[in-house]
Amino acid sequence: MNVCRADLHVHTALSPCADAAMTPLVVVAWAVDEGLDMIAICDHNSAGNVAAAQRAAGDALCVLAGMEVTTAEEAHVVGLFPDAAAALAAAAEVAATLPPAGPDYAAHFGEQLLMDEDGREVGREGRALALASGFTVEEAVALVHRHGGLAVAAHVDRRGFGVVAQLGVFPHHAGFDAVEVSPHAAPGSDAWATAAAYGLPVLRGSDAHRPEEIGAARSALRLAAPTFAELRLALQAADGREVLDA
Amino acid sequence: MRLDRIVEELGLARLTPDVVDEQDVDIERGYASDLLSDVLAHAPEGGLLVTLQVHLNVVAVATHAGLAAVVFAAGRRPEGEVVSRAAREGLALYSSPDDTFEIVGRLYALGVKGRRA
Repeated sequence: MNVCRADLHVHTALSPCADAAMTPLVVVAWAVDEGLDMIAICDHNSAGNVAAAQRAAGDALCVLAGMEVTTAEEAHVVGLFPDAAAALAAAAEVAATLPPAGPDYAAHFGEQLLMDEDGREVGREGRALALASGFTVEEAVALVHRHGGLAVAAHVDRRGFGVVAQLGVFPHHAGFDAVEVSPHAAPGSDAWATAAAYGLPVLRGSDAHRPEEIGAARSALRLAAPTFAELRLALQAADGREVLDA
Repeated sequence: MRLDRIVEELGLARLTPDVVDEQDVDIERGYASDLLSDVLAHAPEGGLLVTLQVHLNVVAVATHAGLAAVVFAAGRRPEGEVVSRAAREGLALYSSPDDTFEIVGRLYALGVKGRRA
């Protein structure tokens, strides 16, 4: 077993609110530089840059396929998937519920850049990724599970877009696999304790929208290897795998 | 109702002073919602929004919807990045210690109507 350092919530330039400098290659390079063993690419309502980041990473670190769904209640649900194909399939279902990005959309919300592994723009996402999808929190969790993924309640300590802020209480019935706290909630803090009291494993994710934010919050995971299957075991605290509180 | 009079009557704190000339902005309609998708769909153009949400998307949604001003209720205040973005977009931001119900009631009494009134 090894201690794996993981930041399981990182955006790319596909997210309208993210820095255009967040190319797949830059994200991977910063993550390696930060000493991370595993990251997850979680763009808003899309998984279009996941495969490029995985190709950019090669064997340098594990890049998990993810997506951060904005639910109908405007809460953020992170889905972590076994592979890019599963993430894309889930993302296609989400995209079908999003309005198109109109002519003034990019000026107000930002560009949504689809890129290859070298950081070249290969297209622009035509759906309004910044807006709420048609999936409720419960439906988003079910969507993630239907595609073989793990559902994480994103930044539960935050007032904006956290499930607790939007719903008033933690939705235990939704079936989340873990909760995530933001860089503001250090282990041992009140915010951390509140999140831990929901009774699920607590992950720390940077929610990086700029290169220098990558790894600003990270989880230590006891795994045999940095893989999706091992992460699933750690969230179940099975076979000696676990999420460490640091 | 002129924006400077609204600010004065409600005792609003100006978060983006000098971004707009309040004497030149006439607010006829308002909207109150904490769900930004709802704001985008229903807020009246040129109107004023009362909301609890203070994140960056509020500015994007408010400018996209063509709103003139945003009042953050219950003493909430956005971070500096949100304020500077609003200033760049020419969107006036205010904060009030009062809750949403109180703010809307006072706006209505001043003659600011809802989108359909």
